[in-house]
Amino acid sequence: MVVPLISIILLAPLAAFTIFALLGLAKRSFPRQDLLSTAAMLVALGCSLYLLKEVVPKPDPHTVDWISLGNITFSMGFYLDSVTVIMLIVVTLVSSLVHIFSIGYMHGDPRYPRFFAYLSLFSFSMLFLVVSDNLLGIYIGWELVGLCSYLLIGFWFEKDSAANACKKAFLTTRVGDVGMFIGMMILFWQLDFKTFSLYGEGGIFSAVATTDDKLWLSIAGILIFCGAIGKSAQVPLHTWLPDAMEGPTPVSALIHAATMVAAGVYLTARMFPILTPSSSLVIAYIGGITAIVAATIAIVRFDIKRVLAYSTISQLGYMMLAIGAGSYVAGLFHLTTHAFFKALLFLGSGSVIHAFHAMHAHHDDDHADNAEHDHSLVHEHGSEIPPDQDMRNMGGLRRKMPITFITMLIATLSISGVPFIFSGFWSKDKILGGVLGRAMEWNSIHHYVLFGIALCAAGITAFYMFRLIFMTFFGEPRNQEMHNMAHESPWVMTVPLIVLAALSFPVVNHLWFNKDYVKPPPQPHIQAPQHAYVPSDTKIGFTLFGLSEAEAADEEGGTDTEQSDKAHHAHEVAHNIAMVLSIIVAGLGILLSWLFYHRRRFSAEAVATTFRPVYNLFWNKYYFDEFYDGVLVTLTVWKARLFAKFDLSIIDGIVNGVATITQKIFAASIGFFDNRVVDGIVNRVAEVTWAAGGRIRRIQTGAIQTYLFVVLGGIVLIILIFRAL
Amino acid sequence: MLLSLMIFVPLLGMIVVLLLPRDSEELIKRVTLGFTLIPLILAVYLFIDYKSTPDTQYAVSVPWIDAFNINYHIGIDGLSVTLMLLTALLGPICVLASWRNIEKGIKAYMALFLLLETGMLGFFAALDLFLFFVFFELTLLPMYFLIGVWGGPRREYAAIKFFLYTLFGSVLMLVALIAVYLSSGIPGERTFDIPTLITLAGTPGHALADPTFQIWVFLGFFIGFAVKVPIFPFHTWLPDAHVEAPTAISVILAGVLLKMGTYGLVRINMAMFPEGMAFFSNGIGFWGNSLALLGFVNIVYGSFCALAQTDFKKLVAYSSIGHMGFVILGLAARNTMGVSGAILQMFNHGVISAMLFLLVGVLYDRAHHREINGFGGLAGKMPIYAGFTTLAFMASLGLPGLSGFVGEALSLLGAFDTFKVLTILSTIGIVVGAAYFLWTLQRVFLGKLNPKYEELPEINKREILTLVPLGILTIVLGIWPNFALDMFRESVDELVTLMNTFQAGL
Repeated sequence: MVVPLISIILLAPLAAFTIFALLGLAKRSFPRQDLLSTAAMLVALGCSLYLLKEVVPKPDPHTVDWISLGNITFSMGFYLDSVTVIMLIVVTLVSSLVHIFSIGYMHGDPRYPRFFAYLSLFSFSMLFLVVSDNLLGIYIGWELVGLCSYLLIGFWFEKDSAANACKKAFLTTRVGDVGMFIGMMILFWQLDFKTFSLYGEGGIFSAVATTDDKLWLSIAGILIFCGAIGKSAQVPLHTWLPDAMEGPTPVSALIHAATMVAAGVYLTARMFPILTPSSSLVIAYIGGITAIVAATIAIVRFDIKRVLAYSTISQLGYMMLAIGAGSYVAGLFHLTTHAFFKALLFLGSGSVIHAFHAMHAHHDDDHADNAEHDHSLVHEHGSEIPPDQDMRNMGGLRRKMPITFITMLIATLSISGVPFIFSGFWSKDKILGGVLGRAMEWNSIHHYVLFGIALCAAGITAFYMFRLIFMTFFGEPRNQEMHNMAHESPWVMTVPLIVLAALSFPVVNHLWFNKDYVKPPPQPHIQAPQHAYVPSDTKIGFTLFGLSEAEAADEEGGTDTEQSDKAHHAHEVAHNIAMVLSIIVAGLGILLSWLFYHRRRFSAEAVATTFRPVYNLFWNKYYFDEFYDGVLVTLTVWKARLFAKFDLSIIDGIVNGVATITQKIFAASIGFFDNRVVDGIVNRVAEVTWAAGGRIRRIQTGAIQTYLFVVLGGIVLIILIFRAL
Repeated sequence: MLLSLMIFVPLLGMIVVLLLPRDSEELIKRVTLGFTLIPLILAVYLFIDYKSTPDTQYAVSVPWIDAFNINYHIGIDGLSVTLMLLTALLGPICVLASWRNIEKGIKAYMALFLLLETGMLGFFAALDLFLFFVFFELTLLPMYFLIGVWGGPRREYAAIKFFLYTLFGSVLMLVALIAVYLSSGIPGERTFDIPTLITLAGTPGHALADPTFQIWVFLGFFIGFAVKVPIFPFHTWLPDAHVEAPTAISVILAGVLLKMGTYGLVRINMAMFPEGMAFFSNGIGFWGNSLALLGFVNIVYGSFCALAQTDFKKLVAYSSIGHMGFVILGLAARNTMGVSGAILQMFNHGVISAMLFLLVGVLYDRAHHREINGFGGLAGKMPIYAGFTTLAFMASLGLPGLSGFVGEALSLLGAFDTFKVLTILSTIGIVVGAAYFLWTLQRVFLGKLNPKYEELPEINKREILTLVPLGILTIVLGIWPNFALDMFRESVDELVTLMNTFQAGL
């Protein structure tokens, strides 16, 4: 039952795209591509939900041979475990809702059918990535979602900013992908089994368990993680994601918040068994740094979509941190809850933008007009904010758009980590507890530092998210003209918001807290160090929603009972401490935000002036873009021009020089030779050509025909002569 | 017999075309199309009928020049049948692509084109070194005229440059060829027969098996083929030839002629001089890395040069140089994966670069220039054309799911075993490749529509017809690479086994 179901899940969206592509060849289109694509997605969603009860206790891959070379075979296949099913449901559910939302949001767009076809292609690619049982298949899906992201970011390609952004997204992620490919090559040649399959007897994971080569394994792990750095927009390859907001907002919700960017987390989680202590630490640090860097940038943004983009980057960093710190379940759990509440936030912001949009005739916004035809690889980015996305034009919208307001508020409470009744709290707490638990268990200063970073980022997240809510929905309208135009969105747009809001409550938690459902794979190369810390017997019991923190905490730890007991204690204590601390920082963040942006007790401008250098650093996004555009891109283009010049003047110069010298030598040594002669034979032929060319131009006569007959006759003659010899 | 028929049907076509009255242009075109379709049908038949075994199939051997023991010996193995299929496929596509834009001397053009096709098909089937050389040279003359007469403004320069460059390579090759012949035995027993020579070269103690001899002869042939591939620094004829050549001729040039170089490397250099091959690619010391180094230089140098181009066609030409670098790198690996990847890359590059040049031609026919910066926003005006271009670009930059990826990935993966650093450095080409293609996409298709091109007509049915078969192949081979790999698996296995017995024990 599994294989046909997965096939349907994959083929339904692919078929929707193929119909569009084939009809497009004949300059036609399916009358209701929107309904076709949406239906395909709903079918996939249905099958995914059905798979929920099909998960086999011992997953086995279903494969076909893809490339066979000598004794090496690369196979393609499906792998279905609980994580796959959860990912399938997340992807198909968010995708279905985004499809429905887009029916309203994209209404009237001249390329309306194309949009849905691209969404279908994306969904197919993403689902393919998720179900693949081998690295090569994941890599294929990986690059295909990149293509779809490219096409959809550049959907309104008339805007130069969109055209730049889509190129930037593809190229930046490709840098990471190349790293991933190198990592794959290292794994392939360093391990005993020559394969890209991950599971089963002859798979990478069983080969990894027996290898001693930790250095290579660490390098390969970090390089494969490079792919995730690109795709999940981790520092230093994060700069493409904010620019990707040039795409239509439903795309931002689906691709750049819920699914594709989370693929990096998914990949890292899938690679869990190959991680070594050093590669884990690199992942944790990259994740931690990303979480804090992006959060600080988000504080000072005014574009509602960019705030959410940086927030996404920050939350993805959280997930990476979790996996790097060994909290497999926590990372994937946060992926799930984040997918729903972040998709909701984006769709909500889309609803707001849509409300303001009536003012603009169409999506070719004003700012596209004044942008020059910018054809250089180096470009300006994000300096100007479209008026309908600028939070400084908003305010007081909660009465105009009650559904949007309430649903977005729910998502904000969730992402901010407001305790107990919101899903985000549980997943974030699980991450914080996991990091602190590792710190206490291993007595590792690194993990204490990371815990501190994560805690700060949690506070900042609460702060900037409520800043967004206060600026958008509370206070007085700042732009009365735009405010008067605003209206609540039609039901096709609000229904997805309501569904996602429902999913922001802890409805998915039981999947993740059920120990039998998701189990972290073993990490053969990670053992707790000898000086592991034995915690005191403090216990802050906590039970809610029928789950105890102690149960939730003990997913980590080794098989050894004594070790496991220590770990158990450490994590139990850690989770309780983390929970208290995270509630405190979230409360502080919200309080500060309220004081700054609602009560106006403090002035944000005054603080910005006081801490000008820090503010500038945040406002200029730590100067990453300036560095990349100003240094890397410029250097690359300069190098390319240098190479081309070298080719034209040096290499070709030598060629032409040799030709000239040859001419001279010939001319000198054989006096009566014409000085045009480079090679006697060639010259004769050349003259024939010139003559022939001239004659053809004039009278279309058959000089060449004559020549060809001569050649033919010559060949026949030569053959006959030689035969006679 | 079937094979000979396939090779010489175009030659027959040339005679027929020459006999037709020169003003009946429609008839000439149709006849030519017919005569290029026959080899295609035969090639498809061969492709289906071909059994994947290491043995040569459809072999024919009749004495030709007894005095020098030269035979008309032809036959195919997995490698040659793949490339013959490519050649036969591009034949009718090129005729269709020449349908409207050849304004003068259509009769001579078509006749020369048919002669060229015979040369190419014969080259891939030849199993006699002399015959091999004759076919190799036979492609040179029609190509020279096709560029020199029907080309762009600097056609004479480009044609002569192409001719002299190739001739320079051929001369070295001829010297090496004669050396091989003279060393093959005592007078009277000397031979040009390729399978025989391969056996002799593998016989310990034979003059042909002498390592020093092998290295020198290897070099002679190598330079001859390197010009054709082209391998840095023998590549500068290529951008000029491509820019000046008419669309269909560029298609043949990139699609087939470049493959003659790499095919020669496999057929002659690797199989006949395994000791020489090992010397240049066993990964030991400078010389042991030299072949891989050339592959790396081609990839990076070609890609960076492409990034700097503003002429659409020149950009595609330099991208070809980069992509042929992957072939060299894969061959240098001397393992099943690398060699299979290289051969797959040859075929895929033939298909993809053919698409790219056809697409450039479509635009040139409409706008009469190729300046990348002179366009903008065409995606809204010509969505189908933009769709095909995106497909071809994505295939060329190695997007998984399309054919370009498989060849590139296997070449890199194979090469990584021996040349770790060079392979890692070569991946720079993957990023730069994406950069120049996406930048071009942006400059030509995205942004605001250039008001000059409000009236640009969409790609027409005939043009779509030339692109569709190539597009289908790109997708099919991307999804199902075994379809092509099945053809030459046995041949590659045999070649790799042969080469692995030699490790340049100098």
